[in-house]
Amino acid sequence: MSALNPELRRQVIAIYKELLNLGRDYPQGFAYFRPRLHKAFMGNAHLRDEEAIRSAIRRADFVKKEIEALYYLKRYRTLRKRYDGV
Amino acid sequence: MFRTALLRTAVSASRVAARPVARRAIMSARAVVAPAPRLAAFKSVRMYSAASGLKKEEVEGRIMGILQGFDKVNDPSNIKPSAHFSNDLGLDSLDTVEVVMAIEEEFSIEIPDKDADGIHSVGQAVEYILSQPDAN
Repeated sequence: MSALNPELRRQVIAIYKELLNLGRDYPQGFAYFRPRLHKAFMGNAHLRDEEAIRSAIRRADFVKKEIEALYYLKRYRTLRKRYDGV
Repeated sequence: MFRTALLRTAVSASRVAARPVARRAIMSARAVVAPAPRLAAFKSVRMYSAASGLKKEEVEGRIMGILQGFDKVNDPSNIKPSAHFSNDLGLDSLDTVEVVMAIEEEFSIEIPDKDADGIHSVGQAVEYILSQPDAN
C-alpha cells in the first residue's frame, strides 16, 4: 500500500466517489449499481504498475461519461415519449 | 433601545410563564413512562441553530447508526465505539471511503482527502467530528 503513488491513490478514491454519487440515480437502482462498482474497483486492486493504474483511471473516467450520457438519453426518451407518444 | 428592552422583558416574562408548565409536563411524563424512552425522545430533538453542542455519546451513536445501516459490515454486533473498520468490521478500503462519505452527509461537513485517509476506526471518526466546529 505504502509503495503506491499517493497522488494516484487520491485520484482513484476521487473517481470512486464521483461514480458513487452518479450511481444514486442509476435506472436499475443504487442497490444494483453499488456492488458492481465496488467489484469493478476491487478487481483492479492488484494493479501496481503506474501506467496500468492510469489507464484504469482513464477507463473509470470514460465510464463516468457513459453514465452521464445514459442519463441524458433517458431524459430525452422520457420527454419524447410524453410529447410524441412513440 | 426601547424596543430591545421591551423584547427582553417580554422574553423573560414568557419564560417565567412557560417554565412551570413545562416542568409540570416533564414531571407528569416521568411519572407515566420509564426513564429510558423519555431520554431517547429528548435526544431525537436536534437544535440545528445551536452552536456545536455535539456530545461524544451522540456522535458515537450516530456513527454507529450509519454503520448499522451499512450492509457490508460482517456482523452488526461487532459495531462498538472502539471498532476498527477493516480489522473488526471486515470493510475494505473502498467501503471505508463510503462510510466516510456517509459520515460527511450525516454531519453535513466536508472531510478533506488527507483527513479522510486518517479515519480508519469508529473512535477516529468520532474524534474528527468532535474537532470540527461546524459539524452538526
